[in-house]
Amino acid sequence: MPTAMRSKGFIAIALLPALLLFLIFVIIPVFWSAYYGFFSWKGFGEATFIGLDNYKEMFKDPIFWRALRNNLILVVSSIIGQVPIALVLAIVLFKNSLFSRFIRSAVFMPMVLSTVVVGLIWGYIYHPQFGIANHVLEMLGLESWTRAWLSDPKVNMLAISIPINWANVGPYLVIFIAALQNISPEIHDAAKIDGSSGWNKLRNITLPMIWSTVVVTIVLCISGSLKAFDHVIVMTGGGPAQSTELLATYMYNSTFSVYRYGYGSAVSTMIMIVSAILIAINYFATRRKSS
Amino acid sequence: MNLQTTGIGSASGKRTIMKGLSGFVKLLLLGYAILTLYPLYWLFTSAFKSNQDFFTNPYGLPKEWMSENIFRAWELGNMGRAMLNSTVVTIISVALTILLSVLAAYVLSRFQFPFKKAVVVLFTTGLLIPIHSTLVPLFIMMKNIGLLDTYGALILPYTAFELPIAIFLSMAYMSSIPREIEEAAMIDGSGWWGIFGRMILPLCMPIVATISILAFLRFWNDFSFALVFINTQALKTLPLSLSLFSDGFGTDYALTMGAMAIAVIPTIVAYLILQEQIMKGMVAGSIKG
Amino acid sequence: MRPGRKIGLVLLAMSLLLAACGGGKSSEKAGESTNGSEKVKLTIWHNFAGDDLRAKAVRSYIDQFAQDHPEVTLDAQAIPPDGYRQRLSTVAAANEMPDVFFVYAGSQSSELHQAKLLQPITEVLDAHPEWKEKFLPGAFDPFEFEEGQIYSAPLGMSATSILYYNKALFEKHNVKVPTTWDEMMTAIKTFNDNGITPIALGNKAPWVAQSTILGSLADRVTGTEWFKNAAAQQGAKFTDPEFIEALGYFKQLVDNKAFQEGANSIDNTQAEQYFIQGNAAMMISGAWTLTNLAASSTEEQMKDIEVTTLPAIPGGKGEANTISGGAGGGLALSSRTEGKAKELALELIYTVSGPEAQKSIAESNSMVMYDAEIDQSKVTSLYYKAYNLVKSTGITPVYDAYLSAEAAEVINNGLQEIMMGGSVEDVAKKLQDAQARSATP
Repeated sequence: MPTAMRSKGFIAIALLPALLLFLIFVIIPVFWSAYYGFFSWKGFGEATFIGLDNYKEMFKDPIFWRALRNNLILVVSSIIGQVPIALVLAIVLFKNSLFSRFIRSAVFMPMVLSTVVVGLIWGYIYHPQFGIANHVLEMLGLESWTRAWLSDPKVNMLAISIPINWANVGPYLVIFIAALQNISPEIHDAAKIDGSSGWNKLRNITLPMIWSTVVVTIVLCISGSLKAFDHVIVMTGGGPAQSTELLATYMYNSTFSVYRYGYGSAVSTMIMIVSAILIAINYFATRRKSS
Repeated sequence: MNLQTTGIGSASGKRTIMKGLSGFVKLLLLGYAILTLYPLYWLFTSAFKSNQDFFTNPYGLPKEWMSENIFRAWELGNMGRAMLNSTVVTIISVALTILLSVLAAYVLSRFQFPFKKAVVVLFTTGLLIPIHSTLVPLFIMMKNIGLLDTYGALILPYTAFELPIAIFLSMAYMSSIPREIEEAAMIDGSGWWGIFGRMILPLCMPIVATISILAFLRFWNDFSFALVFINTQALKTLPLSLSLFSDGFGTDYALTMGAMAIAVIPTIVAYLILQEQIMKGMVAGSIKG
Repeated sequence: MRPGRKIGLVLLAMSLLLAACGGGKSSEKAGESTNGSEKVKLTIWHNFAGDDLRAKAVRSYIDQFAQDHPEVTLDAQAIPPDGYRQRLSTVAAANEMPDVFFVYAGSQSSELHQAKLLQPITEVLDAHPEWKEKFLPGAFDPFEFEEGQIYSAPLGMSATSILYYNKALFEKHNVKVPTTWDEMMTAIKTFNDNGITPIALGNKAPWVAQSTILGSLADRVTGTEWFKNAAAQQGAKFTDPEFIEALGYFKQLVDNKAFQEGANSIDNTQAEQYFIQGNAAMMISGAWTLTNLAASSTEEQMKDIEVTTLPAIPGGKGEANTISGGAGGGLALSSRTEGKAKELALELIYTVSGPEAQKSIAESNSMVMYDAEIDQSKVTSLYYKAYNLVKSTGITPVYDAYLSAEAAEVINNGLQEIMMGGSVEDVAKKLQDAQARSATP
């Protein structure tokens, strides 16, 4: 039997490498960058300490609030879109038949493609002149619904959230499948004997068993949506007139296009603060539900 | 697996409805699959089009199949070398990520020790970090420790940034592995390493495969770190080859598509192999009882 | 308890160590001068990475330098243009510039200069007077940060507001090629009535409308003098009525549906293709369109395309027959390169931007800021027309070459806003605020 001493040794050797690597390459740079957030700095040359001025400016900038709102749209759409779709697909496709393997692989494919390809193809789907979306609407006799999906500020954020959700279902599906496998067959058998099936089984047996995974996927949705960057850069670059700006694209432009490194660092710190708040809310909300 | 037929004959009417429904569901799923596979088809057909063909005929098959794009892109982007670099960096990073994260997750989900909560919270914050703001600090740091322009300049940050998500997925997964298994092993006299290596790791194969897929994709497609931390041409990774053909004033779509078609093949292969791994884990999972 | 404390201590020590490392400044030099027979190391970074003729031409001159100088170990890096700014900014933050690197004209090079990361290359220009004199007037303007000190020699010219038009469409619908604003409006109306897009525009990257349309349009209304004063924030403001009027002309184009729907969500390449396929009658674009079309369309498609300048504006203070443009980017020299390395770096700059290189670049269907005799048979017919057009017209400033990076961003987004129905006055005010902020630090 392992002694207490040996457990301590195991803990140290098993945890320390991961912790050290993480501290050095993630945490230190993050604090370092947060520190730049208190400076007026172009990224090179002289830096001037300006205290909280970057943050004050950020709160006054309507673009910051618009970016935050757009991010929240993505958060909500991913939680009500990706998670349920992935869960349902995982349950339906849990069987190891050729058919479900094929569908599973297909659902994952958008994730395998680089965001540039995904962005390009959806750019074509939404293309104002040759786009499939408008073409389909015309065939359905809905000419009045056709529009320039990515440049009309009334709909473009919604239009963007569809491909983002569509591309990201795959990983959640895989995560849920892995979690579902961990439910031992006896539990399924027991459920069968009890006569639980369908919705009841899902609610009473499956969901509680994989609840910790559901919580993790929601956390991933929140953090992923707040960091979202690539798809938007490819599809709209945050435009037109910054109507699809996200916090990450806003930060990137401030840092590398407008040469305001200090301000960009402050925005980036704010992204972390906002996601931390949302994740804390999620933590308390899901804890109450599960107990 | 044949759940429907094990039922008693009484509900045969209900069963036909179920069958009809499942046929409908299958159709729906098939439709969804076509929707998700279309971009892949589009990429591979576009890769064989000339620039003009690409624009005049964006959805159809190439008027003339041109393999030239692929060869030009391969040569110009130095993609052979880049592919090798990407493979080395990605595989080492994935292995390191798995090893470190599963061990750490095991400790964090099974042991009690001081500051455990703090460590968990610390790793959580790792999920929130937008990478672009860390580029300059990381660059300065790696310059000072002499890592810049080595494989390590990519492997270490890749692994470090992937650890939080990997640890979280493993912890969530382990929380549903019954503890009795370990207790039994402990009575057998296995040490912690033995228990981890012989019991936990095999049980975790599905989640290990999942983490591998996610990590593989992230590392294989990363542009920012690869752009900034590597100087030497001979060490450059694939994503840099993909963006060579666009200059801000115009894009050579034919070559871009050609390069992307090349780059996507290894990811598809990796996914298919790892998916099989998840399925194997499934069988192992049902044996464990 | 003990392991926990140990972990804490180790972490603390590690982070202190790393923080200390980060704080220190590196004293290492990139281009260390070496004596005698030892090889000199030189690094050059550029973004001529693609498959187009111009990129190939530039790369061939870099290769030639390496061949001619066996005593140099040349590390030449072609960096994807998409990441070039980011890459250069990051190494600038760590003061790790390569010896020679490509810089854009405008805010990027002036910011790098202000951060003291560049040194002048005047001596190599003075050493080759026959080369220096053949640059077109104004070629060094964006790189002359101090009186008499030049920091780069441009590798290209950005003629940004050429009016390309499809002759066949104009003839078919019996429309006169517009030389006045009224004729422009008539043309727009006629084409719209016939279901043809009057002007193709791909403004997804929002600098396009600013660089190709606004610069030239505004110059015709306000005159160059006014713009230079407004950019310097001396005696003129972007809220002045002249500029409001200029933006008003842009708004007129928008209101009369001159551009195809959704112009803000398609990129420049897509717009060029839309135009060359005959879906649009005109396109206002820069010389880069010549390079792009040379690579992606046939002579057959190009034979109907003609080039001219934007129409005159009634009562405008600026000259009519002009095109906005100026020097493009060029190679710059790091302020840390010294001694033998500097000598060779200057030699490298001369090889890559010298008379022969300028000629090759010009013959790759790409405009240069240099009086090169080009061989007509080597270029496309359309390029040759444009080349002669640009030679015969005056050059007026491109807006973003004079505005701060932030103000340029504001006017770029502002034009998109106007295209979405935004008010001209608001945009003018935002631009004025942004430029005022950067002019008075």
